[in-house]
Amino acid sequence: MLNERLPHPRDSQPPSERPEGGAAEAPTADVLDHEALQRLRALDPTGSNHVMERVVKAFETSVGKLLPQLQSAMDAADVVSIRHVAHTLKSSSASIGAMKLSKMCVEIEAMILRGQDEGMGEKVAALAAEVPIVLVALQRMIDNNP
Amino acid sequence: MNDSPVSAGDELLAHPKVLLVDDDEVNLLLTSTALRERGFNITEVQSGEDAIEMLARWVPDVVVLDAMMPGLDGFETCRQLRSLPGLGALPVLMLTGLDDEASITRAYEAGATDFFVKSPQWSLLTGRLRHLLRSSRTRLELERSKSKLARAQDLARMGSFDWKRGHGGLHFSIEGLRVFGLGPDSVLTLRSTLRMIPPDDRHELLLVLHEILRQGSVLAIDVPITLHDNRHRIFHIEAEPEFNELGNVCGYTGVVQDVTDRRLAEDKIRHLANFDTLTGLPNRRQLLWRAERAVEFSRRIGHLMAMLLIDLDRFKMINDTLGHAAGDELLIEVSRRLRSCVRHCDHAMENSIEALGSHSHRTLEAVGRLGGDEFVALLPEVADEGDAERVANRILELMREPIFVGGQECFVTASVGIALYPRDGTSVADLVRNADVAMYFVKSEGRNDAALYHPQLSGVGKRRESLELESALHKALERNELVLHYQPKIDVRGARMVGAEALMRWQRNGVLVAPGDFIPLAEDTGLIIPMSEWAIREAARQSRIWRDNIGFTGSIAVNLPSRLFERIDLVEQIHKACALYGVPHNAIELEITETGLMKDLQHVIPSLHRLNEIGVEISIDDFGTGYSSLAYLTMLPISELKIDRSFVRDLGMTPQSSAVVTAIIALARSLGLRVIAEGVENLRQMDVLHRLGCGLMQGFLFSKALPPDDLEIWLQKTILPRKAAWIGEVGSGGVTGEEASVSEWRAARAKPLA
Repeated sequence: MLNERLPHPRDSQPPSERPEGGAAEAPTADVLDHEALQRLRALDPTGSNHVMERVVKAFETSVGKLLPQLQSAMDAADVVSIRHVAHTLKSSSASIGAMKLSKMCVEIEAMILRGQDEGMGEKVAALAAEVPIVLVALQRMIDNNP
Repeated sequence: MNDSPVSAGDELLAHPKVLLVDDDEVNLLLTSTALRERGFNITEVQSGEDAIEMLARWVPDVVVLDAMMPGLDGFETCRQLRSLPGLGALPVLMLTGLDDEASITRAYEAGATDFFVKSPQWSLLTGRLRHLLRSSRTRLELERSKSKLARAQDLARMGSFDWKRGHGGLHFSIEGLRVFGLGPDSVLTLRSTLRMIPPDDRHELLLVLHEILRQGSVLAIDVPITLHDNRHRIFHIEAEPEFNELGNVCGYTGVVQDVTDRRLAEDKIRHLANFDTLTGLPNRRQLLWRAERAVEFSRRIGHLMAMLLIDLDRFKMINDTLGHAAGDELLIEVSRRLRSCVRHCDHAMENSIEALGSHSHRTLEAVGRLGGDEFVALLPEVADEGDAERVANRILELMREPIFVGGQECFVTASVGIALYPRDGTSVADLVRNADVAMYFVKSEGRNDAALYHPQLSGVGKRRESLELESALHKALERNELVLHYQPKIDVRGARMVGAEALMRWQRNGVLVAPGDFIPLAEDTGLIIPMSEWAIREAARQSRIWRDNIGFTGSIAVNLPSRLFERIDLVEQIHKACALYGVPHNAIELEITETGLMKDLQHVIPSLHRLNEIGVEISIDDFGTGYSSLAYLTMLPISELKIDRSFVRDLGMTPQSSAVVTAIIALARSLGLRVIAEGVENLRQMDVLHRLGCGLMQGFLFSKALPPDDLEIWLQKTILPRKAAWIGEVGSGGVTGEEASVSEWRAARAKPLA
């Protein structure tokens, strides 16, 4: 898995400052990248615009739409749709600091670009499993930083 | 021009309108939030379809497009956007998460202005957007100024061109081609351009071009061009050299401008300054300039030149009788004839003469109009005086042909004076003056001829003097230089002054000018009219003074030219003058010569009647010298006949003279007219006149014309003390004689006073 990821390090640029393996082994509390969150907060330093809440809400809405799309794309073996979901989720998850999730998307997108079907099922299942973890982490983050 | 667009652009960039297109809500929210915080005005849509629909109604400053979208993706959206009207230059930034070459290439191919790899580092995006907006603004300004320049060049009929040495050749801008009347796709080579220039000018231009190219200097030249539609234009060409890195001229860039209209205007201005507007002939300025050049040439080369001064005879009369329009018409025709007498050249002008070579002075030859009816023919080179005389005779010959003006056939003759350089003068001023002297000599000899100047003519040449006199006379009135002197009319039996004749004198610079020296001039110039009007007022004023000072109630006679009797306001003028000084109308008597009266009889008679009606008496001056129709004489409302001095002079010496005088007295008596003799100088004349029955006289025997104050003194010293030699000679009858003569006079009045 790592070998497959290495030829495309730039696809996951935002978290590239950190050791790549770190995010994968990180405990749940570290699901979200600190720096990415800092950048998000900088958009609304006083919190008066509730940017964080709105972003988290937008992410929830987005994955609420994307996961069913992903499921039906898998059922129909529609790689174009799978790729689109992965692409969209890749950048939005990076934006909210969910670097592991973002990397998973990168890998799926890369596999599709390479035309590689093998292992696609597990990858997509892993991605679907990561999403609730991220959502919980986000909720916790908001609760801790009102 | 350099600062304003940039600052104006920055102003506009303060809140640039951004259309943000992204299907992912998270990115849309984050990007828009980040951009809003940095001052952008964001409009969000979530699909390419929505973006296209929005752009049909509204145009942002920049579009930020996500490349990967379901439905219309970024590339296709961009492609469709570009095909919308007016959006060809709208900046579009493509956002891509795939930083592979293929996407970037696809983005550009779809018409994106730039691409940006998605990144949460918002300041990078802002920077990119600002750069994009600024360059788009700059490009817009450039487009605008380019079209402004094109328009300005179009208006100025101007265009640019460049020329590259070697293979590049000549290249004109679209505006440049338009100057030549060619479409934007035309090709205009150096060779075909040169072919549009007349051969002589082309040759000259090529010499100039080679020289300029050799020196690497600036070109600025006016060139005549014949366009393809055969229109003749003048193009101004200006070009600067361009240098290569070695410092050698590698080409020229410049502008070509159609300056025909400007040149025409300049030519017109120059023409107006140098040519007479009525006749189109060179005017005084141009003529004298040519004469100066001709004198210079003659001096240098050593040949003779001639100046002919041509003055029309009796032009004033034509002007007066047919009107100024006819006079102008006549001058135009005369000018046309004069031109045909010389090799008239219109083109010799300042600066152009030296370039024409050794015979260039011949182009100076011309006829010009000095002013009024005075012309000059300038002959820059003559072999001898015979040459000049031949031209003069040709002029006289042509003038003798009748000229039709104002629907009438007119005969105009001219007097020509000729002066030759160097014999008759070595300066233009001397030549003009001496030609003038010769011309005046012709006038005095009966006109319609030509004469060469000769020093002996100078004595005759009073013309200049009389011109000065004329202009001085114009001012005499306003300067109060005119005065009236009065000669008493004497009743010799009663030794009384019964009236006075007012005679005009001109006190010029303290010297009295003889009437014979200025009255004819006044009559010629028409000044006699205002002068006579003045005399009437002055006589009325004097009448007032004498009524008050010495109780004089007789009339003062004013001499009027017959012309003045034709003026319908004469009666009104006399009335005004008398009313002004509170004297009766009969304080003024008018004298008109017999000749003048008979000449204009038809026009004068109505006036005489009106004058008579208001009590103004009329006296016929110089009676016996003209050819009065006796039939008319009986009908005219006149009061007095004045026996001409010529008959009086011969009285007692020739029997004929007394016969004439006897006849006049008899005529006057039978018509009931008063009779008075003038020019009485001695007692013998007085005695004869008295015996023949004429008791009223004036002349040196009694008194010459005197200033009014002197006349009062004369009255006091001569008449009142009865001291003069003539008093008593005929007055032997004593006091009764005086009364008798007065009653005789009264009885003799043709009509009672009004």
